[in-house]
Amino acid sequence: MDDATGDGLRCLIVEDDADNARFIAEELQRLGYSTEICGDGKAALAATASSRWDIVILDRMLPGDVDGLAVLSQLRALGKKTPVLVLSALSAIDERVRGLKAGGDDYLGKPFALQELTARVEALVRRSELETKPSMLKIANLTLDLVARKVERAGQVINLQPREFKLLTFFMMNPDRVLTRTMLLEAVWDYRFDPRTNVIDVHVSRLRTKIEAADGPPLIYTERGIGYRMSANGPPERP
Amino acid sequence: MKFNLDPIRDLWHSVGFRLAFYCGFLMTITLVTTVTIVYVQTIGVLHKGVIAHIASIDQTMVERFAAGGAQAVKAEIERALADTHQSEASVFYYVDAEGNRLAGNLDAPLKSLNHMHGAERTVVVRDGANVECYVSFTTLPDGSRLLVGNDFRDLKEIDSLVTHGIGSASWVAIVLVIGGLFIFQQELNQSIEAIRRTLTRVAAGQIQQRIPAVESKDEIALLGIEINKMLDRVESLMNGVRHVSDTIAHNLRTPLTRIQLRLQSIASGPQSDPAQKKQIEAAVTDMEDLITVFEKLLQIAETEAGARRMGFQPVVINTVVDEVLDFYETVATRQDARLVLNAPTPVTLLGDGDLLASAIANLVDNGLKYSGAGATIAVTIGVAADMLVLTIADSGPGIPADKREKLGTRFFRLHPDIPGHGLGVASVAAVCALHGGRLRFDDANPGLVVRMEFPVHRHMDRS
Repeated sequence: MDDATGDGLRCLIVEDDADNARFIAEELQRLGYSTEICGDGKAALAATASSRWDIVILDRMLPGDVDGLAVLSQLRALGKKTPVLVLSALSAIDERVRGLKAGGDDYLGKPFALQELTARVEALVRRSELETKPSMLKIANLTLDLVARKVERAGQVINLQPREFKLLTFFMMNPDRVLTRTMLLEAVWDYRFDPRTNVIDVHVSRLRTKIEAADGPPLIYTERGIGYRMSANGPPERP
Repeated sequence: MKFNLDPIRDLWHSVGFRLAFYCGFLMTITLVTTVTIVYVQTIGVLHKGVIAHIASIDQTMVERFAAGGAQAVKAEIERALADTHQSEASVFYYVDAEGNRLAGNLDAPLKSLNHMHGAERTVVVRDGANVECYVSFTTLPDGSRLLVGNDFRDLKEIDSLVTHGIGSASWVAIVLVIGGLFIFQQELNQSIEAIRRTLTRVAAGQIQQRIPAVESKDEIALLGIEINKMLDRVESLMNGVRHVSDTIAHNLRTPLTRIQLRLQSIASGPQSDPAQKKQIEAAVTDMEDLITVFEKLLQIAETEAGARRMGFQPVVINTVVDEVLDFYETVATRQDARLVLNAPTPVTLLGDGDLLASAIANLVDNGLKYSGAGATIAVTIGVAADMLVLTIADSGPGIPADKREKLGTRFFRLHPDIPGHGLGVASVAAVCALHGGRLRFDDANPGLVVRMEFPVHRHMDRS
């Protein structure tokens, strides 16, 4: 996790709890982001109006008249497409739906692991980089045709079940990014609950067996305790 | 041959119909009683009138005899019989002391003339025909005997007029009663139906629904107003509970986030002492565990509070089960287990798809976990008596009856050696209760069968 992928991307953190904001900021700075912290909704509105951000991390509950959802609505009303990750300490009921409806791109309930947060931030930044959805994805000698729904490795066709195809697509859309189990569960199965046994691990392991049975080096690597990363450049370096 | 009595039974189960029926029954009894009284009174008066008429003629004859003897009586009888109008209804028979007929319009003397007292009802023979009439018998001072009477001709005419009148009136009354009862039942049903519809929607989670206000101020309208007041109160209480749980959750989650982030920040930072690093990592794991329990407890509490009912949607349970089984297929294959689904027809349920999926996943997960290698997990979906019945049976060792009762209790763990928190089945029970369902555990011989029953809404009226 020490590789700086942020590359000077600008992140606005809107969070009233100073400690939490600092921890988030430090972690993102470690990843190469430049960060700024706003403690309330009014400051956040001013900050979003005056400059351009690559990503906004927005707490749902803020002190004062302007809460997180108001900031989000205002931002979208101004036509800004900046990706927004909504954080919330409120009960899970409807909160996710409400956050996404107001224009949020992703939602994370408190308390969360820092790695979960950074993984989501990176996926959001990456998603906004891809202006249009490609029809062909390629990593090393593995190709995935989204239109023909065909997967090949070194010219050899790999037969995948519909869910496996969806899982591989999600991996290939996010190369060199850490994808947490929760992210996979939400994106591929649309499940919001946390299965106790690591069912996701079994799915990834089966996908791995299928795509690695064909010729070539491994492509999906385990990020211990967090999730997985697909990469053509080998396993991440461990400190 | 067997008749289908269901429509009649259904009708009888309607309060509107029963009230209308009782009301109609009472009205009919009242009508019958009134008509009987009117009839008896009217006809009774007529009969009394005839008897009085006879007595007055009798009196006249006695007076005539006093004035002119038997000849005068005879003349009076002949005069009376000459009067066409009177002669038709009148009956006279006059004999002297020896029984010789002196006057009258009867063919034959009557058998028991001697034993009469006052006016009596009897049958006489006049112009060769039997005639029913009232007669009065008098022995005059010279021993001659006189019978004066009046037949039933007029009485019968009036009787038939009255009977016809009552008959026609009764028919009109019966038609009015039936029509009135129908309208009465409709009216009652409509008012009650409006309340029932609203309450069904409220029970289905649309707590903001209210009984439509009506112009009238009758008992049902007042009941509706009171129910609406109660619903206002329930809604405000629910919002209150929600606010409190939000606040608690918020006030606990923020410091939990802080501790977790702080620990993670230290753990990912430069560490000189490997022992210290290990301690911190253990603390992070403990923290994550604590958060899991906290989140699960909160989720169970929120499910039990029922707030999530507001977002209920029609859910095809077969799709939910299909997806869960598809999700676990890889796990099953890995442990050489089989997942079998028997769901002949799709069943729709009003509910929360996410929660239902998590509950079913929980049970399938348990089945796979406790049944081990080579197990079979059989899921069935069926409908019995308006209830959706979903069973999940495993081929594992099963659970003894005394322990089955404790399943679903928070923190109850059947196998403390297997990692877990003892909250999975409790959350399944909460999801079941949220959907108005029942959860039961039985012996599958061998294995455990979990049976979930949910009410199926035949009319998915969500307008």
